[in-house]
Amino acid sequence: MSSLKYRLFKNKLLTLSVVIFSALTAVPLVLIIGKVFLKGWRQINWDFFTKTTPTTLDALLAINNNQPIPGGIANGIVGTLMMVLVASVIAIPLGVMCGIYLSENRKTKFSTVVRFLTDLLQGTPSIILGIIAYLWVVIPLKGYSALAGSVALAIMMLPLIVRSTEETMNLLPASLKEAGLALGSPYRSVVLKVLLPSAFGGVFTGILLAVSRVIGETAPLMLTALGATTIQWDITKPASAVSLLIWEFYNDPNLQSMIWSASLFLLLLVLSLNILAKQLAKKWRI
Amino acid sequence: MKKAIFLLAVSSLLLISCSQKTSLSGAGATFPLPYYNLVFKAFTENAGIDVSYGGIGSGGGIRSLKDEVVDFAGSDAYLSDEEMAEMKATIHVPTCLGAVVLSYNLPDVSSLNLTGDIIAGIYLGKITRWNDAAIQAINPAVSLPDKAITPVYRSDGSGTTFVFSDYMTKINKDWENTLGTGKSLNFAHGIAAKGNPGVAGTISQTEGAIGYIGSEYAFALNSPIAYMQNAAGEFILPSSLSISAAAQEGIADDTRSMITNSSAKGSYPISCLTWIIVYKDQAYANRSEDQARATLSLLNFILSPAAQAQTTMVHYAPLPKEVIDKAQKALSEITYNGKSL
Amino acid sequence: MSDKIFRSLLLVSALILLLIFAGMFFSLSKGAVPAFREFGFFGFIFSDKWISGTGQSTEQYGALAFIAGTLMTSVLALLICLPFSLPVAFFVGEYFRGKKVAGVLGGIVDLLAGIPSIVYGLWGFYALRPLIQSLGLSEQGFGVLTSSLVLAIMIIPYAASLSAEFIRMVPQELKEGAYSLGATRAEVIRNIIFPTSFSGIFSAYVLALGRAIGETMAVTMLIGNTSRIPRGLMDTGNTMASIIANQFGEADGLKLSSLIAIGLLLFLITAIVNFLGRLMIKRHSV
Repeated sequence: MSSLKYRLFKNKLLTLSVVIFSALTAVPLVLIIGKVFLKGWRQINWDFFTKTTPTTLDALLAINNNQPIPGGIANGIVGTLMMVLVASVIAIPLGVMCGIYLSENRKTKFSTVVRFLTDLLQGTPSIILGIIAYLWVVIPLKGYSALAGSVALAIMMLPLIVRSTEETMNLLPASLKEAGLALGSPYRSVVLKVLLPSAFGGVFTGILLAVSRVIGETAPLMLTALGATTIQWDITKPASAVSLLIWEFYNDPNLQSMIWSASLFLLLLVLSLNILAKQLAKKWRI
Repeated sequence: MKKAIFLLAVSSLLLISCSQKTSLSGAGATFPLPYYNLVFKAFTENAGIDVSYGGIGSGGGIRSLKDEVVDFAGSDAYLSDEEMAEMKATIHVPTCLGAVVLSYNLPDVSSLNLTGDIIAGIYLGKITRWNDAAIQAINPAVSLPDKAITPVYRSDGSGTTFVFSDYMTKINKDWENTLGTGKSLNFAHGIAAKGNPGVAGTISQTEGAIGYIGSEYAFALNSPIAYMQNAAGEFILPSSLSISAAAQEGIADDTRSMITNSSAKGSYPISCLTWIIVYKDQAYANRSEDQARATLSLLNFILSPAAQAQTTMVHYAPLPKEVIDKAQKALSEITYNGKSL
Repeated sequence: MSDKIFRSLLLVSALILLLIFAGMFFSLSKGAVPAFREFGFFGFIFSDKWISGTGQSTEQYGALAFIAGTLMTSVLALLICLPFSLPVAFFVGEYFRGKKVAGVLGGIVDLLAGIPSIVYGLWGFYALRPLIQSLGLSEQGFGVLTSSLVLAIMIIPYAASLSAEFIRMVPQELKEGAYSLGATRAEVIRNIIFPTSFSGIFSAYVLALGRAIGETMAVTMLIGNTSRIPRGLMDTGNTMASIIANQFGEADGLKLSSLIAIGLLLFLITAIVNFLGRLMIKRHSV
C-alpha cells in the first residue's frame, strides 16, 4: 500500500543517492590524478620526449644543484609504442576473428569452452603471462626481445577484444545479416562489409580498453623485454617501456621525481586514446 | 592497401638491417643497478656497443644465464658448489663493493651505536624498546627514548637480505639457529616492505623503526645510519673507505668470498662484493666471436680505474687492487670454442 | 577468398585461443609438479605454512594463506566498489544519458583504468596509510583493509563502464510502457531496467573481480606481506599474485615450483569464481 507521496519520495531519494555517490566516486580520482599532475608536470619539457633516461649520477648532481633532472624517457616511449603496436597487430585480427566466430556459433559446445577459457585468460595475473612468454619466446630465441614483450602483451589484450567483439556482434539485429545474405552476398562479404562495420564502435572500444590496460603493465615486460637505455627499433633485441622505466625510477633513490612525470605521460596517453576512441565510435556508429 | 604492404616490407627490411650491430644483454641483481647503469653508459660511449641490463633479481639473472639467453648475469651471492655443478663452467667477476646499512627513525638521536647481537635481539623480538639496557650501554653519550622498536625487513627475495643474514649468522647463535642465511627469511617480528624504497619509506614514516637497506640507497637519501661494531671491536660508520677496508684480505682466488664480519681494522662489518657471472667458454647459444669479445671488453672496462672511480660518486666502493688482480686473472681464462681470447 | 577458407580462418582463430590456453596450462603444470609431488596436491592447497629453508627450518610451502588473502581482498574490494560503481553506471547510462556531465564523469572514471598500478600503490602508501593509522584502525597501516580500499578504486572503471553500456541498451519501449502506466523513475529502474540488464551487469562485476584477483603491484605495497591467513580485516596478509611477484625473482628449486603451483591454482580459483558467476547468471536470466 504505497501512497503517491511515498513513491515520489523514494524516487527523489534514489536520484539523490545516485548523484551523491557518483560525485563521491570522483573524489579519489581527482585526488590521485591531481597528485600525479602536481608532482609530474615540472619534469615535462621537450627533452622529456626526446632524450633517453638519465643515470643516477646525473640525477644526483642535478638534485644537489637544485636543477630539474636532465634526460627524458624517449627510450621508454619508443619501446612502449613499438611493443603495443606489434601486440595490437597480433591481437586485433586474432581477437576480432575469434569474437566473430563465437558470435556466429553461439550455442556449440566448442564455443562455450573457448568463451570460458577466454574469461580465464582475463583473470590471469600479468606476471604469469610474463613467465609464459619467457618460456615460449625468450628461451627459443635465445635472448630477451621486444617481440617477447609484445607476445605477452598480445595475450593480455586478447580476452577484452574477443569478448567485446562477440558481445557487440550479438547485439546486432538478425535482420542485418539476413538482408545481406538474401541479396546474394557471399558469407564473408556479409560479415566483413556489413556486420563488422556496424559493430565497429563496440569493437573499437574493446580494442582501446585492451590497449589502455597493457600500456601500464610492468611485470610481464621485466621477464621478456628486459629494458634498454638507448632508443632502439629492433624487435629482436631488448627494449625499454615507460612502465618499465617507472619501476626503475621507483628503485633508484635519485630518480624518484621521474616516477610522477612518466606516470603523467601514461595518463595523458590513455586520455588521448580514450578521446580518440569516443570520437571514432561516434563517427562510425550507424 | 598495397601502399601499406610496401611500407611494411621496407620498414621490416630496415629493422632487419639494424640488427647487425653487436649489443650485450645481461640480467640479475638490483643491488648494483645504479652503478651498472652508469658504467654501462660510459662503456657504450667508449666502445659503441649497447648494453641492456634488467634488474630482475640475482635468481632471475642466474636462471637467464642457465637458459643461455643473456651474455652475463649479475648476482649478489656467488654460486654455491652445487649450483656450479649444475651449469657449464662459469667465471665470477667482482665489479664493486657495497654494504648493507642499518637505518633508523629516532628524531632526537643524532648518532647510534649498534652491535650484531643487539640487532639479532631486535629482529627476534627479544629487545623491544629503544631504552633497553643493552642498547643504552653502548651509547653512553645519547639518551635513548622509551619507544617501541619496529624492525623493518624485505618482503621480496633479495640479495640485500642475503648479505645481512650472512653477517648475522656469523655473529649471533640465536640468529643462526632460527632465521639463518638466505634471500628470504622467516621473520616473525616487524613490518615487511617491498624493495629498498619500501623499507626506506616505511622507516621514514614510522617513528622508532629500524631496518636494513642497501648502502647506495641510504646514502642518497641521507637517512640516519647506525655505527656497527666490527670484529675488531670498533664502531664503524659505513663509507667508501670502511667498505673497501673489508675487502683487503681473505678473498678467495676465484673471488667467491663473502666479506662480512671482516677482521680488518676500520672495516665495516656488513660489506659485500657483487659479481658478474659469465660462462668460461663463450661459444654457447650460437653467439658469435664478436659477441664474446664484446663481453670480455665490457668486463675489462668495469675493472678499469676509470670505471672503478665512478663507484664512489654513486655511493659504492671501488675494488682494492688485490681483488682486481684476481678478477683479471679469472678473465684471462675465458675462451671461445677452446681458443683463448 | 572463398567462403570455406573464410569460415575455416574463423575456426582457426578460435582454435589458436584454445591452444594458447592449453599451452599455458601445460607449461605451468610442468613447473608445478615438483611442489605437488613434495606436498601432495590437496596437501599443498590446504596448508597455510610458508617457511623458507633457512636457519634450522625445513622448507615447507602451502597455498592456503594466499588463497585466503586473495579471496578476502578481492571480495572486499568488490563489496566496497559496489555502492559507488552502480550509481555511476546509472548516472551515466540512465539519468544523464547523452548529456555532457555524463560524458565527463564517464571519461573521468575511464581514466582511472589508465593509472599504472605502481602509482596506486604509492598513493596508498603515502596518502591512505597515514589516514588509516591516524583513524586508529590499524597500527601498521598495512593490511587487508588498506589494500582492499585501493583495489576497490582500481576496479571501479571496469564495473561502471561496462554496466553503463548494458543499462543504456535496455529497449526504450519497455521503459515507456512502464512510464505510461504511471511508474516513477525509481520503479522503472527497479522493475524494468535492472532485471533486464542484470546478466550484463553481473558479468561486468565478474570481470572486475577477475581484475582484482590478478592485481599485483598495488596490493603488494599495501598488504603487509605476512605469509599467514589474515586474522581480521585490519591484519596483514598476502595474496597469490603478490607472493609470486615478490619471490619469483630470487626463487629456485622447491620454492620456485611452489610459486608456479600457486600461479596454476590462481587459474583454478578464477575458474571457480567465473563458473559460479555464470551459474548464477543462468539461474537469473529470463
